[in-house]
Amino acid sequence: MPMAKTAAVPLLLAFALIATAQDKPANPLGASPQVAEAGRLLYNKSCTACHGPDGTDGDRAPALDGNRRYFRVSEAAIFEVVKNGIPGTVMPSSGLSDNDVWRIVAFIRNVRATASDLVVPGDAQNGMAVFNGAGGCVRCHMIRGQGGLLGPDLSSIGAQLSLIRLKDALTKERPVPNGFRPVTAVTAKGEKLSGVAKNSDAFSLQLLDAQGKLHLLDMSELRSVEFSKKSLMPRSFDKTLTATQYRDLLAMLAVQARTKVRAPLQGENEIGR
Amino acid sequence: MNLRKFLPALFAAAPLLSQVILAQVTDKQLLEAGEANWLTYNGSYDSRRHSALKQVNTSTVGALVPKWVYHVPGATALQTVPIVVDGVMYVTQPNEVYAVDARNGRQIWDYHRIPARQKGPNRGVAVYRDKVYFTTPDAHLIALAASTGQVLWETKIAEASDGYWSPAAPMVVKGKVLAGIAPGDHGLNGFLDAYDAVTGERLWRFNSIPKPGEAGSETWAGDSWKSAGGNTWLTGSYDPDLNLLYWGIGNPAPDFNGDVRAGDNLYTECVVALDLDTGKMKWYFQFTPHDTMDWDAVEIPVLVDAPFEGNMRKLMAHADRNGFYYLLDRTNGKFLAGAPFVKRLNWASGLTPEGRPIRIPGIEPTLKGTVVCPAAIGAANWQSPAYSPETGLFYVVAQEGCGFAHKSTETFRPGGFQYRATGDVNMKDDDWKVYVRALDLTTGKLKWESERIGSTGFGGGLLSTAGGLIFSGEQNGQFGALDAKSGKTLWHFYTGQQITAQPVTYTVGGKQIVAIATATDIMAFGLFEDHSK
Repeated sequence: MPMAKTAAVPLLLAFALIATAQDKPANPLGASPQVAEAGRLLYNKSCTACHGPDGTDGDRAPALDGNRRYFRVSEAAIFEVVKNGIPGTVMPSSGLSDNDVWRIVAFIRNVRATASDLVVPGDAQNGMAVFNGAGGCVRCHMIRGQGGLLGPDLSSIGAQLSLIRLKDALTKERPVPNGFRPVTAVTAKGEKLSGVAKNSDAFSLQLLDAQGKLHLLDMSELRSVEFSKKSLMPRSFDKTLTATQYRDLLAMLAVQARTKVRAPLQGENEIGR
Repeated sequence: MNLRKFLPALFAAAPLLSQVILAQVTDKQLLEAGEANWLTYNGSYDSRRHSALKQVNTSTVGALVPKWVYHVPGATALQTVPIVVDGVMYVTQPNEVYAVDARNGRQIWDYHRIPARQKGPNRGVAVYRDKVYFTTPDAHLIALAASTGQVLWETKIAEASDGYWSPAAPMVVKGKVLAGIAPGDHGLNGFLDAYDAVTGERLWRFNSIPKPGEAGSETWAGDSWKSAGGNTWLTGSYDPDLNLLYWGIGNPAPDFNGDVRAGDNLYTECVVALDLDTGKMKWYFQFTPHDTMDWDAVEIPVLVDAPFEGNMRKLMAHADRNGFYYLLDRTNGKFLAGAPFVKRLNWASGLTPEGRPIRIPGIEPTLKGTVVCPAAIGAANWQSPAYSPETGLFYVVAQEGCGFAHKSTETFRPGGFQYRATGDVNMKDDDWKVYVRALDLTTGKLKWESERIGSTGFGGGLLSTAGGLIFSGEQNGQFGALDAKSGKTLWHFYTGQQITAQPVTYTVGGKQIVAIATATDIMAFGLFEDHSK
């Protein structure tokens, strides 16, 4: 039956396409900042008995952002677990309407996005003034060629960190990244050098001081070397800055992406004013 | 450690960023090209690649041993010339710069351009004050902080989508960063740019192809000047007294069919002398008028002050890809002397008193093919030569071999497509040979030669030292030291991989190091020390 065979192929293809579409429906509400914000409020109301607020970790359930890999990445997969729970675990079905579940889905996807993918409320221009002034950030950090050399370059930080991790960096003690470990070395002549270790091993130390000068040292020439586990980065910007300054600093850091940055949304700069 | 105490103490000496004094490479240092550092692509503005260091010399070179190896991640065919400033070495490959501790090869920082266009090679950085300058496969000039590799600014030299890229090491003179462009083989017109070293702003551009109405435009038939080539893919030289830059200009396009571009095709295949302040051309000298063999004249112009016919003269020596060695008066571009530096040269019978080649009719690419010697790859190429003031000899890597050269008709297509109108095939059954040759500066006469046995391609360029040595890295992986007076090999080390870069030398902690990029690594050599005692 050659005719029937040839007809069956397009029919199967059509089924396959429908099946795929049903597996991964796009969020019918879209992923606008408004939808995600509505989802955040719903999430904080409905899910924080176990999870922490805003997607952080809670007493009985994990954070939804962070440094782990997730089994459920697609919108459809997240919809499924929020709607129906995860059998065999303490994750229950939410009992929310489909639209509310989709709002939460939009929020969770945002939590996992890099900060530069989000609309972060605040005045980025004022945030740059805080970076250069009250925050003191510019002494150690550089953005697009302007600033200090001691800390990591932040020209693309919005594309590297999620918003939660960005907030953590400003407010919580974090491990010191490679190349930025504080170190104090005393030479055989008694000269004291302080800065960060760009590199080191049992025999040599490459030390960058606050003046941006590299010191290439042999361990055998040093009287003492002291590495600090604690970062030079102050971690209390939520307390030392005003609420507006902190918000604006975050908004400015969030948009730092050296590669392509999304186009600003209409009215974006008014948000939060 | 008490951070509350530590942070203010750290900044005590630097209350404001603008007052911070960073490690500096000054104009004076660049002019003097002191022996401790290796500050420019060819070691000094005169491009002699001669170092005054002599700890490693004809008597001690036998004790030269590897000191460290730095593997450049992902490298396959490095052409980088290391730049060394006060114990920090900067090396590159396309889109990437690495700063390593020049004493031990430990990495200090790395820079990666993202997104990275794949186009090679890259030949190294320039340094000035607190910045490192680097050009990219997408034809940008980038300034990095010398101590951390952070991007300070970037400037677009040309449109990568047109087909341009930048492989050459820039050169900085008196606050101007000089950056060239490639290629000529796509019919893209070349230029040399000067940029402000502080801001990245373009100060001037020398266009190597004159537009209609400009001097030299009469050397291009019809509209052929529009897709004419003439690029600047190697680094040039500078004379501080004359305030002139000397830059080699590449081939005309289409490379192998000159029928569509009747005329001498200025300023392709020239060395041009440009005023540093304005970029205006003071003089030019054309080695191969109306070239049809892709014999880019970008080979390094070497500046020497030496007696010529009884008088001290300001000279420029140049071994061209076309097989002739040239000696010019660099104040005015006048031809003084010239001679072939390869034996296999069939396209010209000699040079006129003005230095113009006397062509042999018919020895050029044809539809059915013609044997032309040297081949398009040339008798010399980008491998830097060296000059020793102690021996008075000019040292060059010379290749002997012929090509079977064809031409065809081809239409220029914008967007970075080949516009060569065919080319040549290296004669495979030919007896290809590569030599290090020492030429008398003023006559070009061969004083000695050392064959790179086992090599059928150039390999890397040369380094001369006051220790009486010529260092030479070969395609077959041998890195050797030759006696500058006799060419005798005094030391060698098999690196296990192809070498396509020229060596440098510097001191760190009072000890002389000789370093070279092999295909995948930077290798540093110094005199043996017994640390067990």
